[in-house]
Amino acid sequence: MKINNRETGRLAEELAGKALIEKGYTILENNFSNRYGEIDIIAKDKDTYVFVEVKAKKGVDFGLPEEMINPHKLRKVKNMALIYMKGETLPCRIDVIAIVLSPTNELVRLSHYENVYM
Amino acid sequence: MLVKIRSIANIGLETVPVDVEVDVASVGFPGFTIVGLASKAVDEARERVKTAIVNSKLDFPPRKITVNLAPADLPKDGAAYDLPIALGVLLASGQLVTPDIDLTKSFFYGELSLDGTLRPTRGILLLGLFAQSLGPATVIYVPYPSAAEAGMISGTTVVPVSSLSQLVAHFSNIQKIAPLRLKKIPESVDFTTVEFDLAEIAGQEQAKRALIIAAAGGHNLLMWGPPGTGKTMLSKALSGILPPLSSSEALEVTRIYSVSGLLNPGQALLSSRPFRSPHHGISGAGMIGGGSNPLPGEVSLAHLGVLFLDEMPEFPRSILESLRQPMEDGTVEIVRAAGHVKYPSSFTLVAAINPCPCGYLNHPRKECKCTERQITKYRHRISGPILDRIDLFVPVSPVETEKLAITGSNLSNTVSSVVAKAQVIKARKVQEERFKKEIGLYTNSQMKNAHVKKHGFLTPESENLLRVAANKFDFSARSYFRLIKVSRTIADLEGSKQILPVHMAEALQYRQMI
Repeated sequence: MKINNRETGRLAEELAGKALIEKGYTILENNFSNRYGEIDIIAKDKDTYVFVEVKAKKGVDFGLPEEMINPHKLRKVKNMALIYMKGETLPCRIDVIAIVLSPTNELVRLSHYENVYM
Repeated sequence: MLVKIRSIANIGLETVPVDVEVDVASVGFPGFTIVGLASKAVDEARERVKTAIVNSKLDFPPRKITVNLAPADLPKDGAAYDLPIALGVLLASGQLVTPDIDLTKSFFYGELSLDGTLRPTRGILLLGLFAQSLGPATVIYVPYPSAAEAGMISGTTVVPVSSLSQLVAHFSNIQKIAPLRLKKIPESVDFTTVEFDLAEIAGQEQAKRALIIAAAGGHNLLMWGPPGTGKTMLSKALSGILPPLSSSEALEVTRIYSVSGLLNPGQALLSSRPFRSPHHGISGAGMIGGGSNPLPGEVSLAHLGVLFLDEMPEFPRSILESLRQPMEDGTVEIVRAAGHVKYPSSFTLVAAINPCPCGYLNHPRKECKCTERQITKYRHRISGPILDRIDLFVPVSPVETEKLAITGSNLSNTVSSVVAKAQVIKARKVQEERFKKEIGLYTNSQMKNAHVKKHGFLTPESENLLRVAANKFDFSARSYFRLIKVSRTIADLEGSKQILPVHMAEALQYRQMI
């Protein structure tokens, strides 16, 4: 089960990356991580740094991927973003990409929410 | 899309309109937030509304939902905003359209349960009265179990809603809900079940007479005597001889019970005069009223009825002292951080005390085992100002064994509750006639000094008698006027227009101190 989830996540991050490139974003980092946490994708939209949290679900029987994002998770992303920017004040924002996959790993829905805060 | 649903907030007995603004945005990260000084109970509406909508086979939109309860600076409490919020979500997400309903004239109020049914909610009567003041076109949508509360209010349409899906069917014209039919307020309300009949109590003729006077004029009464002589029983019998509530009185008392959520589901009006007997472990907030969103205390729940304090010296002194202001003014003002609230508290105080800690002081046969110091200490638990507010002091002495005999025929000369009640009702009728033009004044005991001068009809001989007694026993100014009020009630019981010396003499007899 665990391996399965990780695979779903990796696939979702791939799909999210593609979607961002299509929108004209530049991908800077994938899975930027240290012992405090992880940012799935760091991209650049023109001059703005975009820290992207990707959340994927296989089917919606156990809820929408959107429901799995909470203030605690966003705070973790924010802290990681601060580490990434090394104290510099840069134009930046946090985005969430919610992905629903079918049981056979086909993309059902991909929603990109810009500038998410709770 | 943004919709505005109207609801209300009850601050004490005052009703304020609240606009429930619900916005379901087409952009933004999905979420559900409630703003507008919502308490924990209102904030938890999020989970109830969400689950209730899903369980009513409707869609909860996965979008950014913002609810604002305006005015934003007024603290909101209670679960009654569940219904307006749920309806707002359904309308704002386009699942429900109501072209033929004027939402500005409709009020929604009620708590949702997770399966989408509506639960009994307190304060419906106040919503009904508020809607009545707005004019005849107003419609209120309230939970079915509590709708009866508003059923006696004319000039407003009450729609009893039993579930969220029923309301949806109503609005989409699939199946209309029939509005509640107006019930007439009965002239007088009385469904008292008599727990103790006065005739059941052996002896104690003087105490029974005092009970009748207390019930007729709403006078405060204190009974003292050794244990087991029938003080508690007499007080319980009092609830059986209290006069029925008039329609305006019933409405006044029911409002307080509606706010407290003490009406049973389906109950429209309080069925009899309140008789409250709190235990002496009661807290100050429980007695006077309190809480962060102040609720009525025992003094307000006993409004227009009886507050019975059994074993009065056992009550903490601070609580007894806090009764002083409500007893004098007939209202109690509670001030908390959330604001201040005024509740009516015009009650008749009935107290029962023992003469000393062991209870047998001045007993004809038993010996008192208390020391002088113990007795003084016990007496000091009740302060002078409280005793000064008591009109009728009644000694309840041990009953002679002859009167206890079950097989004898000596029960025939005692007054039964039915007879006593008839006397009380007759005296109240006289008072009703007298205070026809005075609003909120029902009994002799509620008279202010100006009323005493106006309605007293004291003969010079009676006043002379009172003056002599007042000089001899050093009555306070308050006692002086209280004595006139008690003698007024005795005169009413006797059917006399004037207060004659004989009435005054009887009133003076109840004035003796312990």
